[in-house]
Amino acid sequence: MINLDNISFDHCIKCTVCTVYCPVARVTHLYPGPKFSGPDTERLRIKNPDLLDDSLKYCSNCKRCEIVCPSDVNIADIIRLASANNPKRKLSLRDLILSSTDLIGQVATRTAVIVNWTMKLSPLRRLMQLILGLSHERAFPQYASSSFSKWAVGLIQTQETYPEKVVYFHGCYVNYNDPDLGKSVVQVLNRLNIGVVTTAEKCCGIPLISNNRLEEAKKHARHNIDVLKKAVGDSDMKIVLTSSSCCLALDHEYENLLEMDTTSIQGQIELITKFLYEAFEQEETPSLKPLNLTVAYHAPCHLERMGGVVYTVELLKKIPGLNLRFLHSECCGISGTYGFKEENYAISQAIGQNLFDQINDLKPDLVVTDCETCKWQIEFNTAYQVVHPITLLAKAMGCQNILKTGEKKTGS
Amino acid sequence: MRFDSIIIGGGIAGLTCAIRCAEEGLSCAVISSGMSALHFASGSIDLLGRFPGDSVVTDPFERIPEFINLNPDHPYSRCGEKAIADSLHYFADQLQQQSLQLCDNGRRNHFHLTTYGTLTPTYLSQKSVYSPDLEKAFFENQKIALISFEGFRDFHVPLISANLPGQTLFQNRQVTTGTVDLSPLIRSLKNPHEFRSIDISRMLETDEDLQKIADSINELAGDAGIIGLPACLGFIHHNHVYEKLQGLVGRPVYEIPTLPPSILGMRLDHALKTRFSNLGGVFIAGDKVVRGEMQSERMIGVYTENHGKTLLKAGSVVLATGSFFSGGLISNSAGIREPVFNLDLAYEKDRKQWAGGLFFQPESHQFLEFGVKTNERLNPFDHSGHPIDNLYCAGAILAGYNPIREGSGGGVAISTGYYAAEKIISRTASTGAATP
Repeated sequence: MINLDNISFDHCIKCTVCTVYCPVARVTHLYPGPKFSGPDTERLRIKNPDLLDDSLKYCSNCKRCEIVCPSDVNIADIIRLASANNPKRKLSLRDLILSSTDLIGQVATRTAVIVNWTMKLSPLRRLMQLILGLSHERAFPQYASSSFSKWAVGLIQTQETYPEKVVYFHGCYVNYNDPDLGKSVVQVLNRLNIGVVTTAEKCCGIPLISNNRLEEAKKHARHNIDVLKKAVGDSDMKIVLTSSSCCLALDHEYENLLEMDTTSIQGQIELITKFLYEAFEQEETPSLKPLNLTVAYHAPCHLERMGGVVYTVELLKKIPGLNLRFLHSECCGISGTYGFKEENYAISQAIGQNLFDQINDLKPDLVVTDCETCKWQIEFNTAYQVVHPITLLAKAMGCQNILKTGEKKTGS
Repeated sequence: MRFDSIIIGGGIAGLTCAIRCAEEGLSCAVISSGMSALHFASGSIDLLGRFPGDSVVTDPFERIPEFINLNPDHPYSRCGEKAIADSLHYFADQLQQQSLQLCDNGRRNHFHLTTYGTLTPTYLSQKSVYSPDLEKAFFENQKIALISFEGFRDFHVPLISANLPGQTLFQNRQVTTGTVDLSPLIRSLKNPHEFRSIDISRMLETDEDLQKIADSINELAGDAGIIGLPACLGFIHHNHVYEKLQGLVGRPVYEIPTLPPSILGMRLDHALKTRFSNLGGVFIAGDKVVRGEMQSERMIGVYTENHGKTLLKAGSVVLATGSFFSGGLISNSAGIREPVFNLDLAYEKDRKQWAGGLFFQPESHQFLEFGVKTNERLNPFDHSGHPIDNLYCAGAILAGYNPIREGSGGGVAISTGYYAAEKIISRTASTGAATP
C-alpha cells in the first residue's frame, strides 16, 4: 500500500537540481545522486522493495538536496527511510559502535587517558580498519576525563536561584568530548541572569538515524521528549542546544522522520545562538570586550537546513573587534559518522577540499562553527583551531578559563 | 531580527533587487525556497524580442516607447524606458564584477540558437553564446561543426541539425556533426541516467580531461571554422575552460543551451549570489515565507517555516516569487491565488481561455499573463483595494505581460527588481529607517 502521507516524491519534476548540488555526487560516481536515489527509485521501491540499491549508503544525510529542491520534496528523508527499511540490511559491528555515542562516551571518559593515547597508535588504527572498517587515516576525537553531566550535578542548587531558566540539551559531544563548552554555556547564561537545567538526556539519535537504526532512534527520541517535557512542565521554558545536528534531530527528525509526537516541546527547541540573539534583542546586549581576531565562519549543513545560520552570524557580529569572514557555504564532508568509515574516507576528504582551501587562503586566527563533527573535519585537514560561537561570546563576556588559543586540537 | 529590506524569492528579479539594495548599504535578506528558475533558463537575457503581430524586434530600445504606449499596464510601463536601460546596464556591470561577461549587440538584439535548433532574438548573452567576435567568425566561415557527447541525453544533435537549414542564418551552411566518446575518461560511471550537463562541466574543469576532449573535438570537427557545443563548458571555472578549449581547438567555440539543469543559467545564479554575499547580504536558503504581518496598512515583517514564531521584521518587503512554475502563483479548481500574502490578482475567470490548443503556439498562452496587480510603484493591493506602500512586486509574479510571446522575461525581471530597489532606497533615505 502507498502511504498517502508521504508522497512528496511525486512532486519531483526531475529537474536534477538536487544532484547538481549534492556534495557526494560531485566527487564520486559511486553515488548516482539524490534524485535517482530518492524520488526516482522510491516509486519502484513501493512496488518492489527488493529494488533497493546498495548505492544508498553513500548518502551522507547532509540534507543539502532538500535546501535546493524547488519542489519541496523531502529527498533526504526518502533516502534515509529507504535505506533503513531495507530488508536485506545487516548492522555491522562498526556501525553499531559508531552510532552508540552514549555508550562509547561513557566508557571512553572513564578511561580517557588510555583511549586518547591508544587511538593515536597507527598499528591499532590499521587493525581497526582491517577488523571494523574504520578509516585508519582518520584522527579520532579526544575524550574528556570527566563528563559534563557529572559536573552539572553539582550545579543544581545554584541554578535553582535564578528567576528565569532554560533547559540545556548538551548532547554527547559536550558531555564526553568538550565539557568546557558546556561550562561556557552555563557561565554565559548565568551572566544574563538565566539558570540552566539539565536532564537525564540520551544521545539525540542522529548517529542512529544515519546508521539505519531507526527503532533505537525512536527509543531515544521517546526518552528525550519525556525528560524534556518533565523539565519544562507547562511552562514555555526554552530548550537550548549547542550542537546544530542535535537541534535538527529534536526539532525536525523526531517529528518528520521518526514520526514522534513532539507537541509537548514544540516551539521550545532553539539553537543557543538564536536564543541568545533574541535575548539580546529583547533585553540589551551585555557589554562585550573587543576580540581582535580574524575568524572564518563555516555554516554547518544541518544548520543551513534549519535556517539558523543568520542568528549565529548576527550574534557574532555583536562582538566588537571581531573580523568576521564568511566561508562559502559548502559541506565539510564528515557528516557525523560518515567520514569515519573506511569506504567513505576518500569521498569525505574530496568533498571538504574546497572548504579547506578557502580556509587556508584566508589564514584566519580561528575558524568558528556550530557543529562538532565539522570541527573535527576542519581541524584534521587544516592547521587551524575551530571553536564554537559560544566560546567566542563567553570570552567577549569575560568568562573565565575560556579559549586557550594554541591548545591541542582534535585527535592528531 | 530586522532588515531594511526582505526579498522573497532568490531568482533573477529578487537578486537584482537585493544586490542594488545591499550596494546602497541597506541591510538586506533574501529568502529563497529552493533553487530558482535560472536553472531552467537559457542564460540569455531577453528584453523585447517580438512585437505584437509577431514581428522580430531588431532594436528593442527604439520600439520600447511605442510598446509602452500600447501597453499601459505592462511592467515596462511602470518602470519607464530609462529605468529599463539603467537596470540592464547595472545588471551586466554587477555580473562583470564576478567575472561573468554578458555581451550585447550595441543596443540591438542578436539571435541565439536554442536546444531545438531554432533561432530566438535576445538582448544579452554570455560571451560563449554571443560576442562580436563570434558573430564575425560565424559570418566568415561557411563550414560549422556541431559536436555533442556520447550518452548525453539533454542535447540532441540530430534534432538541431535537422532544424538548422530552416533558419535563414544557417541556409547554405555546411554542418558537420559528431559525438565525443567520454567513456575512457569516466572512471566509475554507474548510471547513464545521471550523466548530465553538470557531470560534463566538471570533467571539462579538470585540465587533464579537457586536453583529451579537445583532441576528440578537433578530430570530429574536421575543417569547420567554428564549433558549436552543448553549454557544458565549465560551471564555476567557465572562463578558464572556455579560453583554454578555444586555444586547444584553435578556432572559435560557441555554446548552445541544453535541457535542464542549465549551466548557462546556473552561472548567472552563482555570480548573482556571490555578488550579493560579497556586499554583506544575508541569503536564507531552503525556507518558505508563510505569511506577512501587517500593522496600520504596512507590512512590518514576515513569518517563515523555519523561523517559526520569530517575526523577521522589515522596512520594506519585495515579493519576487515567480509565476506558476516557481510557486509564486498557485492554480487549483477554486481558481488562482498568491499563497504568501493572498494579494489581489489579475486573471481571466473563464478557464477555457487560459490556454490555447497547441503547446508551442506563436501567440503563447494567456495564463502566462496572470499575476499580481500593482500600482505605478509596483505596490500590490490589499483586499480593500488599498495599495500596501512598503510591499513591492517584481519579476514573473507581476500581471500584464507575456514573457514567451514578447520575449521579455529577463528584461522584466531585471527592470522591475531594479525599479523596486530604487523605490526602497529613496524611501529608506526619506524615512531614515536604515538599521545601524
